Amino acid sequence: MVIETVFYATIFSMVTIKELEHLATLARIKLTEEDKASLVKEFDSILSYVDQLKKVDVDIEGSARVGAVKNAVRDDAAMQTSAEDRERLLDEAPDREGDFVAVKKIIAQDIKI
Amino acid sequence: MKIDLKNLTIIKAHDHLVKGDFTAVELAMEYINEIKSKNADINAYLEVFGDALESAGEADKKIADAKARAKSGNGSLGVEVPLLTGIPCGIKDNILIKGHIASASSKMLEDYHATYDATVISKLKTEGVVFLGRTNMDEFAMGGSTENSAFGPTRNPHDTSRVAGGSSGGSAAAVAMDGALFTLGSDTGGSIRQPASFCGVVGLKPTYGAVSRYGVMAMGSSLDQIGPIGKTVTDCEIVFNAIRGQDQKDGTTISPDTYKKSSKSSKASSVEDSGKRPVIGVPRHFLGGDGIDPAVLKVFNDSLESLKKKGYEIRDIVLPNISYSLMVYYIVMPAEVSANMARFDGVRFGLHKDGKNGIEDYFESRRAGLGREVVRRILLGTYVLSSGYYDAYYNRANAVRRMITEDFNKAFESVDVIATPTAPSPAFKVGEKTNDPVAMYLEDIFTVTANLTGMPALSVPCGMATKDASKDADVSGGRKADLPVGLQLTARHADEATLFRVGKELLGEL
Repeated sequence: MVIETVFYATIFSMVTIKELEHLATLARIKLTEEDKASLVKEFDSILSYVDQLKKVDVDIEGSARVGAVKNAVRDDAAMQTSAEDRERLLDEAPDREGDFVAVKKIIAQDIKI
Repeated sequence: MKIDLKNLTIIKAHDHLVKGDFTAVELAMEYINEIKSKNADINAYLEVFGDALESAGEADKKIADAKARAKSGNGSLGVEVPLLTGIPCGIKDNILIKGHIASASSKMLEDYHATYDATVISKLKTEGVVFLGRTNMDEFAMGGSTENSAFGPTRNPHDTSRVAGGSSGGSAAAVAMDGALFTLGSDTGGSIRQPASFCGVVGLKPTYGAVSRYGVMAMGSSLDQIGPIGKTVTDCEIVFNAIRGQDQKDGTTISPDTYKKSSKSSKASSVEDSGKRPVIGVPRHFLGGDGIDPAVLKVFNDSLESLKKKGYEIRDIVLPNISYSLMVYYIVMPAEVSANMARFDGVRFGLHKDGKNGIEDYFESRRAGLGREVVRRILLGTYVLSSGYYDAYYNRANAVRRMITEDFNKAFESVDVIATPTAPSPAFKVGEKTNDPVAMYLEDIFTVTANLTGMPALSVPCGMATKDASKDADVSGGRKADLPVGLQLTARHADEATLFRVGKELLGEL
């Protein structure tokens, strides 16, 4: 019985390496093989803990809300930024050209449209 | 006069400053010297600001101006000088102070300079507060021990072999080592209250929306609040009153009216008006597990006994779904983390590492900039939000979250405040829980509920737990360790006043 349980846990992890790789791609995070191996184990221990929620009898319809808080929104209008503030913001960018944040070319040259 | 930092409070310091017993510059200097002698061992501060003495000088000028005005008969002195003018404080490293580095203890933002002031900082600047420096934390506030800092752990001033708690460990340790009169922290699942408990100081997580979050780095947006850490309940109350208030720049701000109607309709809410003692509820059914240290439970029970002797009614309450709180939290929080951390892309600000192309830049920058716990939570959040799992995890967690909130609302029909220990154990050893995420997460078991419900909660030091080598494996060499234990009080939405009242009773401040 004990052996079976261990066997089960080893073979059927709650998240596979392949799934983990997919999640990492979605989240734009590079993982090493070592990371993946330990993350699969950690996911198992965390997910088997939170999985206890599945036994709660609850209607999952309805929205998330904290207390009586309502979203406070401002008018959808352009706001003035001082030249000094703009400079401060642009200065934090790793790469800039004039008043623009510079990034690498996104469309590759060999793609014909 | 010689400044007695250990027994100094905000009101005492204010009186001395106004009387001229010492200047704000002298006071700031005293704190900076204390930091210099202790920070190498404790690592509460990541940086002491070069402009701290300059702003102390400005505070002195404000006080001198107010005195001059009072002399010429224009207004009384007490009204002219705000309580916080010249009071030295430390700020958690995820709160923006214009021009200063705000790294959130992450390699990602090691060289990032804040481009504007957080609302709480603007408010404190108006009061004339002196910012001594920025305090250490778990990276992006993710952790319960400050061991996840990219710049080394903060150690507990009561026992440097132990953690200060987290994620606001630097802020709590700074107050405990007399490295600031008060500090600001942020609290997503207990990050102000648990380190306050470990370090023997007072910490407040205000009502969700009571303090503006404009300029604090978001972690779990439906959970985060900024709050004060101080030596006394009165000090925390003073700071809370200075930083609270509606703010157009905060999308989840509350107005003074938000909770007015609901508190009037509830039966036991007239405590303040009637002058009656608040009724204290205790969810005994939740305190019996083996996860809770008997030494903590003993100190907790002794404190309740002392309140009973003072005439407080202690009532057993049942919160039927409270045991699900931590599971709900560890679904909702990573989900929100994965969304909030998407902004760190190496393009607009923060660390940039070059890859082969634009998309590789993201992978390389995030890999180099983000630590293990942050990566773990981003991936976990991505998982619970991904198609096929969204209903099973995220929607279900939100539904249970509503049930837990209803349980608390119901309990508050018969009691005014709910008491539990703040944390299941006193400060643990550095390294003890770093390899077991679930053991570390269990630290938050009593604190996450206030974040899930949005209710205010206060941790007050209520005694010391004695650990010795004969029965505790984590005490070595026949040594004894006396470690602080915190008692947590939770109140109705927007009812911080009741927390302060019972907290002051516990600390003998009434």
